Amino acid sequence: MTDSYGDYQREFEALLYHEAALLDSEAFEQWLELIDDSVRYFAPVRATLPRGKEDFGRRELVAHFDDDKAGLTARTRRIRTGWAHAEEPPSRTRHFISNVRVLAFDSPLGTARVASNFIVFRSAGDRDNRTFFGAREDTWRMTRDGWRLTNRLIILDHNVIEAISVFF
Amino acid sequence: MDRNWDDLVDLRRHAVSPRVFVDPAISELEQERIFGHSWLFVGSESQIPAPGDFITNSMGEERVIVTRDTHGSIHVLVNSCRHRASRVCRIDYGNTRSFTCPYHGWTYDIAGKLIGVPRFKEAYDESFDRGEWGLLEVARVETYRNLIFANFDPEAESLVSYLGDAKWYLDIVFDRTEGGPVALPGIHRWTVRGNWKVNSEQQSGDNYHTDYLHRSVLESGYLDIPVFRGAEPWVRDLEVKCGNGHGFMLLGIGYSANYPPEVIGYEAAVRENASARLTPAQANLVNDGMTYVANIFPNLSIIVSLGFASVRVNHPRGPTEQEIWSLTMVDQEAPQAVRDFARDQQNRTFSPSGIFEQDDGEMWMDATQSMRGFYRRRFPLHYGMGAGRGRKLPDRPGIVHPPNTEIGVFGFYERWRELMERGGVRK
Repeated sequence: MTDSYGDYQREFEALLYHEAALLDSEAFEQWLELIDDSVRYFAPVRATLPRGKEDFGRRELVAHFDDDKAGLTARTRRIRTGWAHAEEPPSRTRHFISNVRVLAFDSPLGTARVASNFIVFRSAGDRDNRTFFGAREDTWRMTRDGWRLTNRLIILDHNVIEAISVFF
Repeated sequence: MDRNWDDLVDLRRHAVSPRVFVDPAISELEQERIFGHSWLFVGSESQIPAPGDFITNSMGEERVIVTRDTHGSIHVLVNSCRHRASRVCRIDYGNTRSFTCPYHGWTYDIAGKLIGVPRFKEAYDESFDRGEWGLLEVARVETYRNLIFANFDPEAESLVSYLGDAKWYLDIVFDRTEGGPVALPGIHRWTVRGNWKVNSEQQSGDNYHTDYLHRSVLESGYLDIPVFRGAEPWVRDLEVKCGNGHGFMLLGIGYSANYPPEVIGYEAAVRENASARLTPAQANLVNDGMTYVANIFPNLSIIVSLGFASVRVNHPRGPTEQEIWSLTMVDQEAPQAVRDFARDQQNRTFSPSGIFEQDDGEMWMDATQSMRGFYRRRFPLHYGMGAGRGRKLPDRPGIVHPPNTEIGVFGFYERWRELMERGGVRK
């Protein structure tokens, strides 16, 4: 049962809400500080297949994101140029994080696996409204400076999706 | 349908009416006249290597299944039961012996033949001929360099004739190695609220937009290059208008300093070996920092850079929306480091979240939505850049001009008008 990790529930809820607030306010540099240098930030494409046949571990499966820290940094730096037109003028973006579950907590290693669901609403211009739904499975590592994200699997619930100019 | 075609695509003034993009009646007419008579890309042979393999796709707005039968032949079947029209295949890919419609259970073999009708003997009499009620099969299926194309028109010219001058340029990518490009697993699929032609025309030869629209990519230092073109006009920096509406852009941009040495080494070896397969002028366009963008009329777009090829179809979904399906392809021979790099680049640059793709989609949406107003629709768009200034060169086919020109872009609309005006049927 997950009861033994219940002590950490509030801690990770607070962490994920804090992270969401950083993204909603475009505080990308502070957001990147939460990201470990070893991160894999992975959002594989989906497919409609018979039950149980979809495999996110499939070798070389293409992805909406499969970024390391340098890749995420490059994406945020691009937005900062002021010429990234999908986010210029800026969208109104809101992250809703829910269903937070601490799946595992390893005290000696200082790592935790944390699952959550999200809704990300992104509204640009007058009525260019896009809503993304999905789930995440994170691995966080405790460092001297606090928790750092070392792995994030993002399972989008969309098969054919709208273009993505936000982070999950 | 009576129309003043000069008002829609003015061949003399090189102008196109906004109605071409937003008028629902034109979009409807395109279904039959453009998509009913053109060779449409439906998949890579590498997606269906074995008997029984299938993928689903669409041709225009028509939903199809691409299958490989037990003899190895490829069929393109309309994904709709002949009895009450439901889809007989409701998954994206797989391997099967048959397709059974979930509605009443009619069953078809992998080649589309009707092989099962529940309670056939008690429910039907001898007047029902099962042989006449197989899945609708797209009349023509032909391949070029392992790319599968289909055409609804039984009278259509052959695929190789249709590709014409474009073959020379396709070979630079699809015949540069023995194995040629194969598809990685998974398909990037996304919607853009913009007309499909705004996308396809850009791939046909709009290099004018790259330095400006994609300035964020340059300024952020993602690619350490000054501009999206090189220094060898006519030779390695050129735009090409091929016949039948096909267009290419070849840009000797060069390598960024941050490219892995394995990738540069691999590409150099491919370039060297390609001279045995290709003409010297073609081999000179095999990498060494080449970027290559193409549109095969009507809606197969190809973007090649950094060892990957994004081979994508811009499916119409009504006048003001499109669905882009993009395969990521790499040479069959490519070592793992090259495959990984190619996949990373494709994910980051030209996927739905790609740092180029995001901004392109924004403009396709914006342009389309801006043309919906009755007043804007009265005034045409200008496509005359470089008109009449293209040349024929001795060492390569097509009409050529260095960037920037719109001869390839307008060539797309010349072909579009030809098919729309004559009803799509070649007399």
